[in-house]
Amino acid sequence: MEQKKHWQSFGELNQSKAYNKDVKDEFKEELPFVADDESKSFLNAKAPRRDFLKYLGFSTAAAVAAASCEMPVKKAIPFANKPEDVVPGVSKYYATTYVQDGDVVSVLAKVRDGRPIKIEGNELSPITKGGTSARVQASVLDLYDTARLRFPTIDGKEVTFEAIDKAMAASLNGPAVILTSSITSPSTKEIISQFIAKYPGSRHVTYDAVSFSGLLLANETTYGKRAIPSYHFDNAKAIVSIGADFLGTWLSPVEFARQYAIGKKLDEKNPEMSKHIHFESVASLTGSNADEKYLHRPSETGAIVAALLSAVNGQGATGISDPKLKAGIENAAKALVANKGAALVVAGSNDVNVQIAVNAINEAVGAGGKTIDWSTPVNYRQGVDADFARLVEEMNAGSVGALLISGANPAYTWVDAEKFKSGLKKVKTTVSFNTKVDETTELCKFVIPDHHYLESWGDAEAKAGYYSFLQPTIYPLFKTRQWQDSLLKWTGNPSDYLAFLKTYWSAKVGGETGWNKALQDGVLHPSTVITSAAASFNGSSVATAVTALLAGKKGGEIELVLYEKIGIGAGQGTANPWLQELPDPVTRATWDNYVIVSPALARTLLNIDLNNSGEADAYEVNPPKKVVKVTVNGTSIELPALIIPGTHPNTIAIAVGYGRSEKLGKSVIGSGKNAYPLASLNGASVNFVNTNVTITSTGEKYPVALTQTHNRYDTPQGNRTEVMKEITLAAYKHHPTEIREEREAELKPWGGLEKFESQGTIYPVFDRPGIKWGMSVDLNTCNGCGACVVACNAENNISVVGKPEVLRGHEMHWLRIDRYYSGDMDNPTVVFQPMMCQHCDNAPCENVCPVAATNHSSEGLNQMTYNRCIGTRYCANNCPYKVRRFNWADYTGADSFPDNQAGIVNDVVLDMNDDLTRMVLNPDVTVRSRGVIEKCSFCVQRLQESKLTAKKESRPMVDSDIKVACQQACPANAINFGNANDKTSSITKTRIENPNRQFYVLEQLHVLPNVTYMAKVRNLEEEAKNNS
Amino acid sequence: MHLKYESQLREPLVNGEKTFHQVTEDIVRPIEAKPSRLWYIGFYIAVALLLFGIYSIYRDVTYGIGQWNLNKTVGWGWDITNFVWWVGIGHAGTLISAILLLFRQGWRTGVNRAAEAMTIFAVMCAGQFPIWHMGRVWMAFFVLPYPNTRGPLWVNFNSPLLWDVFAISTYFTVSLLFWYSGLLPDLATVRDRAFTKLRKRFYGVASFGWTGSTKHWQRHESLSLVLAGLSTPLVLSVHTIVSFDFATSVIPGWHTTIFPPYFVAGAIFSGFAMVQTLMVIIRKVFEMEDYITIGHIEAMNKVIVLTGSIVGIAYLTELFMGWYSQNKYEGYTFWYSRAYLFSPYGWSYWGMMACNVLSPQIFWFRKMRRNLFVTFFMSIIVNIGMWFERFVIIVTSLYRDYLPSSWSVYYSPTIWEVGFYAGTFGLFFTCFFLFAKYFPVIAIAEIKYVLKTTGESYKDKMGHLENVAPEVFAHSGHGHTVVENDGAAH
Repeated sequence: MEQKKHWQSFGELNQSKAYNKDVKDEFKEELPFVADDESKSFLNAKAPRRDFLKYLGFSTAAAVAAASCEMPVKKAIPFANKPEDVVPGVSKYYATTYVQDGDVVSVLAKVRDGRPIKIEGNELSPITKGGTSARVQASVLDLYDTARLRFPTIDGKEVTFEAIDKAMAASLNGPAVILTSSITSPSTKEIISQFIAKYPGSRHVTYDAVSFSGLLLANETTYGKRAIPSYHFDNAKAIVSIGADFLGTWLSPVEFARQYAIGKKLDEKNPEMSKHIHFESVASLTGSNADEKYLHRPSETGAIVAALLSAVNGQGATGISDPKLKAGIENAAKALVANKGAALVVAGSNDVNVQIAVNAINEAVGAGGKTIDWSTPVNYRQGVDADFARLVEEMNAGSVGALLISGANPAYTWVDAEKFKSGLKKVKTTVSFNTKVDETTELCKFVIPDHHYLESWGDAEAKAGYYSFLQPTIYPLFKTRQWQDSLLKWTGNPSDYLAFLKTYWSAKVGGETGWNKALQDGVLHPSTVITSAAASFNGSSVATAVTALLAGKKGGEIELVLYEKIGIGAGQGTANPWLQELPDPVTRATWDNYVIVSPALARTLLNIDLNNSGEADAYEVNPPKKVVKVTVNGTSIELPALIIPGTHPNTIAIAVGYGRSEKLGKSVIGSGKNAYPLASLNGASVNFVNTNVTITSTGEKYPVALTQTHNRYDTPQGNRTEVMKEITLAAYKHHPTEIREEREAELKPWGGLEKFESQGTIYPVFDRPGIKWGMSVDLNTCNGCGACVVACNAENNISVVGKPEVLRGHEMHWLRIDRYYSGDMDNPTVVFQPMMCQHCDNAPCENVCPVAATNHSSEGLNQMTYNRCIGTRYCANNCPYKVRRFNWADYTGADSFPDNQAGIVNDVVLDMNDDLTRMVLNPDVTVRSRGVIEKCSFCVQRLQESKLTAKKESRPMVDSDIKVACQQACPANAINFGNANDKTSSITKTRIENPNRQFYVLEQLHVLPNVTYMAKVRNLEEEAKNNS
Repeated sequence: MHLKYESQLREPLVNGEKTFHQVTEDIVRPIEAKPSRLWYIGFYIAVALLLFGIYSIYRDVTYGIGQWNLNKTVGWGWDITNFVWWVGIGHAGTLISAILLLFRQGWRTGVNRAAEAMTIFAVMCAGQFPIWHMGRVWMAFFVLPYPNTRGPLWVNFNSPLLWDVFAISTYFTVSLLFWYSGLLPDLATVRDRAFTKLRKRFYGVASFGWTGSTKHWQRHESLSLVLAGLSTPLVLSVHTIVSFDFATSVIPGWHTTIFPPYFVAGAIFSGFAMVQTLMVIIRKVFEMEDYITIGHIEAMNKVIVLTGSIVGIAYLTELFMGWYSQNKYEGYTFWYSRAYLFSPYGWSYWGMMACNVLSPQIFWFRKMRRNLFVTFFMSIIVNIGMWFERFVIIVTSLYRDYLPSSWSVYYSPTIWEVGFYAGTFGLFFTCFFLFAKYFPVIAIAEIKYVLKTTGESYKDKMGHLENVAPEVFAHSGHGHTVVENDGAAH
């Protein structure tokens, strides 16, 4: 066939001269300078003066005009040479490890275009199995903290590393003391020992802000090892905790939360679960999750442990006069004895004698080798307070020549910080390795900025034989150097830390390949699980300990407990805006610490009776809370008082970690007060309890930013059981369909459960083919820790709004954890309920939007179209779950109105808008501008990604493709997500397997939510109260 | 419509020995005279309020709705309260001019002009709130269903807010037309009396070339009837649709089928109260006691006690249903959040009850109905009460809804929320002062219609004529009042 040629014009057909000229000159534009003749070049052309002036004038004016218009500077710079393994827009995941002050969590860092933007749990880790905590999730924000140290200094002046090394070489001429928090890195320990060898007489002191001295020393006495064993809550059928907040802050909460959840997971066909009995003085996360909880004075801890020991040994709970408490101890003993070999007792006390007695109980109930594993002792906490106290004495005596500090911050956390500071002044050479200027670094001569863990190489040995590795996920942002590098340099070791680490590990893991594999996995552990083992128990000290416990002095009228908050910890989280804005699971407060008082104490001290609806209302709806003054041995502190049910009437509590140095960043400014000075040094260990304090009302008020003001779902007009369903195990066993029948009764007017969807409406019912996303939350395993909340913040670029805005109910969290009390107000039952957009099939928000900015996807998602939203807030009003959030101000700087943040949003928010901090933003998620509504999207960006992945691989999507952010973060696996139309998906299986516990919140409204909750079952003997 | 017989026992609608010319003189006087000192003071205060309102809105638009104290739970507060309040006030005018016209209530003539003007200004004020309460007001045009290049992307016809857009814009348009068409003959009167060129020109243009010809009158009458017919359903529909904003939602306290009639009654109630407030002032300031008589005042007070009682029944019905339905969410909203005096907003509910239900009962007494001081005081009380009503409906329903976890902190307005409200007062009174200065506040032509049947002097004469034998009137065409050429100056 002849090739056809199409012509577009006659010119082209005829190839006319004019046409060819036009084609040639189509885009040719010459300056209309007329050259004298063709031979002369352009430069020699005679430009008419007028033309020249005209062009000059125009171009100047144009340049001026262009320059005067403020154009936003876009800083998107493409790669000059594309790195081989970076695909723009595709995230890479690097296995690394979150290490902070002894905490070890194996994680994956999601790196997008060279920036780590999200931390996910590493599912290969046998310890955490992909679980994380709020602090782990928030740690990525610390990388981009504007307050980070950017260069090394000597006496506050910027210097180079060479200068510092030189100066150090001169200064390090005798024994030095290395002061650190607990070090889990074996290679670092090796480096420290090399350093000590180089400078003979040097030593390493481990100092933990909130130490486990009591436990360590007790174990030394009874087991001959100054170590902490591994605990296996998953093997325990009976758990007794005496003030140990093991799901929140005690030792290794991520690990324990996962184990605990295993025991709490309920199989509907065989409903059995572990029994958790908790004794505490102040409401804690763990106490809130307990099946039975008993309140006691802090000064009674010893007596309780002693009584429990005697009860376990069959001699009855002696020495306890309070009948409730006595019954509790007997219950606990009964449960422990009944589950011999599957029982575990833990205590949070830092008192050696308490821990010795607890060890004796654990021995009596056969915990060794079963729930307590001595074959893999943990390295989370190694510090003993007495060591540090001795160091402080020496410093004051002037016998310490050089002090190298990493991780420890005694100038803030030590009970007698002033003494430490005065001692520090007597030390000639003080070196601080730190990422930020904290209270101790501030006082040091040499300040060497350290890498953030996401910039670091390293290793961590969480427990014996279980390793986890760190690798950098980003090139160091500032002039920082890993502190191990400094030590190596000063030791005279020519290799840097990476080389050292590689050599150290290559030998152990079989060369380069093994090392690479270990780095890639991020974890290394024995191929077979190390069998649990008991340790030989030396009970000789028990009798003395018990005698000491029984001789413990009686507490005064009011006793004080200092505790760590889940987000803040010992103070590590104070400078992190995500953690500051994370509502404390127990108190639901943000941005402050406060004095926790019981409802009973509130009646006498604050004149507020929570059982009086008027007084309770006034207390709840007004953020300013009464300020009280707490005096401990002459030291006093004034803080607002929050009434927290579940606290012993004679006990008050204050969280440590607040009142930090303003150099740590904007989010510490005005945030709470330092409670460490209220602790006391009790010989060998710091005592975070004071049994005799005075508390007085000052008559002033201070606003506390609470995100939840009302705490009961029971109202004078009826118990809102459609909101929350809980049942006791006994009741459940007796009548497994109780909850289902309750639902049936609720829906009876509209056809009952079966026909509710069609009969609850006058509209036709539509098919929902294809994908239908659904979520299921198991309230039995959810412990309310808040990891999901922070994960959601990070994943979805949720704005931090600062305390003034939280006070006004403007917080932006897409996912919140509701906390409800029921029963006795003094010692209530507590339940947690994660609440996010329910993605209702019949969503009330959708039909009220005048512009259809919120609509329904064919996959069952309730979608927000930000650029269509005009901000009438009608959808938020009409949402029965109140999960929609409005951008009240320009929190993100994404607004088209310039200069509208100053004076409106607070400094923390401005700081979050800094170019550095904004590097944490997830590019897959739109940053919302002022005036639009936003809400949980079921992580639609992840869903799209997973669908695409499956599509590219030409296969149906499966469960393992998708993990939404909250689900990924959850240490307890309480959240299940997937395609509910897929018969094989785990969400479908969960729903089918749990017909009796499953419920929808506010089901009777016929909004048809896509989030199912599984009722909370509490392992209690007595029959459930008839709630319906 | 003036072809009617009216009993002489009825109170005259126009007092004094008024002639047609006097009527014109009396009503046009304020337009032609220099404004009083009082007018200036009032006007400047109104403008100052308006400017403050504009600044408040400026802040809200520039810095965000966070300038107000609304929160995650209470998404609407003073903004929508004020919206509903103003829309409610904007009901009386059209009710008076349309429904009362159709029902041939002669007494409406004295007050309809001012009432209609009030309606228009009130709706203008009302319209500000839904507009400026938007988070992104610069995108407000999204609510208009017009063919567009975004898809085309249409509005959501399911949304009551969209119905509001239609209802209020329609209502405003029809009310404005009705008001203005009624103004034409009177503007022509003013034009014909004008003594400066500027006035002549202004009123000339404004009166659309009205000459007063019979054809004009005929068309005018027809138009009035048509517009009255159009407006009548609107009076009922606007507030019905506003009530749908709440009634179609799922929130306890909002989700109520009683809302449409209850809102309409409430709207008329508050509208009449506002008319009273203005009339009591106008008749005093402009010396129009002869046209806005105590009889007028009394008639409106009767409407107030009637609608107030309807509203009261509605409140009690709601309370009853809150209990009778045995719905715990409804029960909580009605019996705790509202009716329990010591709950955080209990004061607003009982304020509403006291102002709207209890206090208007005073108008069962004739003496009170005819007491100017009581009327004025009560008109203010009723409007405060009706403001409370909307506040109660919106805030007490929202702040404690389904999930106790999301119950909010105490919502109270910021200065900028109050400023916005004050600004609408500024707008309202600025408009009203200008109206009172430049437009005839009483419908001259319509007064003249009724003058000869219900004017005081005519009634007197009628009384005299009652005794005259009917034969005397044979073929005299009595009862047919000849209308003077209103277009001509008197």
